[in-house]
Amino acid sequence: MPDTPSRIRVALLGCGQIADAHLQEIRKIDFAELVAVCDVHQDLADQAAARFEVPHAFTDMQRMLSATSPDVVHVTTPAHTHCSLATQLLESGVHVYVEKPFTVDVPEAERVLLVVKKTGKSLCLGHDQLFDPIWLRCRKLVDDGVIGEVSHVESVLGYPLSGQFGRQVTGDPNHWVRQLPGGLFQNTISHPLYRITEFLTDIQPRVDAHWYASGNATFPTEMVAHLRGKTVTGSLFFSTRIQHQRISRVYGPRGGLEVDHDGQTIRFIRQSTLPGAFGKLEIPWRHWREGARNLRQNLWRFLKSDIHYFAGMRTLFELYYRSILDGTPPPIAYEEMLRVTRLMDVMFRHCRVRTGAKRLAALSSASPRMADWKANCMAEVEEEESVS
Amino acid sequence: MSVLVTGATGFLGQRLVRLLREDGVQVRCLVRPSSDLQSLRQSVGEVLWNGVDVVSTELMDSDRCRDAMMGCSIVYHVAAGLSGSTSTLFLSSVVPTRGLLRAASEAGVQRFVLVSSLGVYGTQAMQSGSILDERSPVDPHPHLRDPYTYSKLMQERAAWEVQQETGLPLVIVRPGVIIGPGRGVLSARVGLQLGPLMVRMGGTQHLPYIYVDNCAAAVRQAGLAEGVDGEVFNAIDDDLPTAKELLRMCRRAGHRVKSVWIPRPLIQPMAATYDWYHRWSRGQLPGVLTPYRTASIWKPLKYTNQKAKSQLGWQPSISFDEAFHRSLPSHGADA
Repeated sequence: MPDTPSRIRVALLGCGQIADAHLQEIRKIDFAELVAVCDVHQDLADQAAARFEVPHAFTDMQRMLSATSPDVVHVTTPAHTHCSLATQLLESGVHVYVEKPFTVDVPEAERVLLVVKKTGKSLCLGHDQLFDPIWLRCRKLVDDGVIGEVSHVESVLGYPLSGQFGRQVTGDPNHWVRQLPGGLFQNTISHPLYRITEFLTDIQPRVDAHWYASGNATFPTEMVAHLRGKTVTGSLFFSTRIQHQRISRVYGPRGGLEVDHDGQTIRFIRQSTLPGAFGKLEIPWRHWREGARNLRQNLWRFLKSDIHYFAGMRTLFELYYRSILDGTPPPIAYEEMLRVTRLMDVMFRHCRVRTGAKRLAALSSASPRMADWKANCMAEVEEEESVS
Repeated sequence: MSVLVTGATGFLGQRLVRLLREDGVQVRCLVRPSSDLQSLRQSVGEVLWNGVDVVSTELMDSDRCRDAMMGCSIVYHVAAGLSGSTSTLFLSSVVPTRGLLRAASEAGVQRFVLVSSLGVYGTQAMQSGSILDERSPVDPHPHLRDPYTYSKLMQERAAWEVQQETGLPLVIVRPGVIIGPGRGVLSARVGLQLGPLMVRMGGTQHLPYIYVDNCAAAVRQAGLAEGVDGEVFNAIDDDLPTAKELLRMCRRAGHRVKSVWIPRPLIQPMAATYDWYHRWSRGQLPGVLTPYRTASIWKPLKYTNQKAKSQLGWQPSISFDEAFHRSLPSHGADA
């Protein structure tokens, strides 16, 4: 039997903010060796290499590949570059880890997956929060039947624009995020969406989505989406008007589980079993006990130094690298990457159409040409609505 | 004479624009498209505003920046990222600085003034009590410093590299901690702010502070003084207090600071312990406190502003006592 390599050589492309998290977590994996970083700006590549003790920094991807021969390359560049870079990397013979969102739209995603098939190299997408300890605990409780069969998943993301990245996006009308078809949402909505699709497994659930600009914003900043599968429904709420938060609620016939990803806590949502006013005592009593349990668990994890913001990322990296070494499928299925991308496409199209429909209705049909154009557009809107 | 100022709507930039206008200099302000001009306009005043012209562009757009620099004899590069991750600070400070210097060279600018930071010196290697001046070496291990200082060190390095390439006359001003109305007087040089509590580090270290108006005057002079191309100037006020004295001044002014005190002999062992825990726990607590950083920031040193005074003809016109009172939160928002 041929010897299989026991170590994996890793390189990273795009040394922006999220690259720090990747480099920090890769360094914690004992069978991974960081061999190079690359960025179009030499200064950015150099700072990443210096801080994370990476031996080589490049500004040219092909030079990096030929000089350092990595097994896998992490792509942490802006979303609109993912398709082109991922296909180039796969065709160069390396495995690829792509930060979310996968691509700008489904045609791009299909193109990348076609190259995966053609080259035989594997690709993993950054759905890392599925591997966060608190989400894995929630998943186990669901699998153990604590709430029964899942019927609804709710996902909330609070994303105030006063944050570092939000300020950049708001301040620059030409920021790459604002050029994406799904704007601000395209770059951030994957995380709350794949927490829903973890349980809502229909290939094409019905989608109803709406976005709007809050306050003085000149681009859509708030979004609500409902997804209807055969047995499971989902709702996604994205807001820049609330504090930063990542909350998921998973419901079943026997109650619900509320997961606070930042607080690393789980709370049970159940009706009171006691009658009348006694119930008003039982619920807070339960909350108090759950609070104590969460505190105990987090304290124990703290003592074990097991509380890390990007713990899910490290687990996903490890699983992916193992899959490369073992020649097994990557931890995120290709169908799932495509399904989430398709859902995002449908959601954004739906939002655009709804926004467009309102504007169309307000338009005058004074000239015959305008009336024709309006009729065509309205037909497109109706067709879109009937599809979704 | 026309000059160009980047970061003109910022804390220091708007004072610099006002001073230049008071000298009768035509000022072109380079501002981000999202910048609010109201505060700059208020600071300059309606009468002097006539000599201000505003160009709205991102600093990364070298072509637009070069066009804006045409006809300007001096560029004052004041814009810089103050907070955020290292990569964000590099993108807002280091990368655009290269482009701006090249653009200035192409536009025929006669002097480029870069506002850096006093934090760039390699103070961890200096003896306690020694004098920090412009001859002191800069930090040889910039990546071990905090993200802001790292970005300023690399920004300076980038500026010198382009200066070598292009021959563009370059002057660097390294201000201390800039205080002023709305900024308060407490800084990391006194200690670490943990929620409502300040962890005071030592207390005998002098604080290299400069009042914002004094700083603007030093920066202005760095552009106007003759025969200083290729020079570096530290900009700090006279009569600097120690951290202990500053807290006493706060108390006397009725501002009680809730704090705990870490005596100087305990600072390094504490930093070493924290750093060990950070590594052992694989980053469960952020690696913000390291022996290297503590030795860089809280070492008792003596500071001098003699070079700026003698070569730039600059004097800090506002005394530290006055600057202190103007910077207190209870003072008018923009005294």
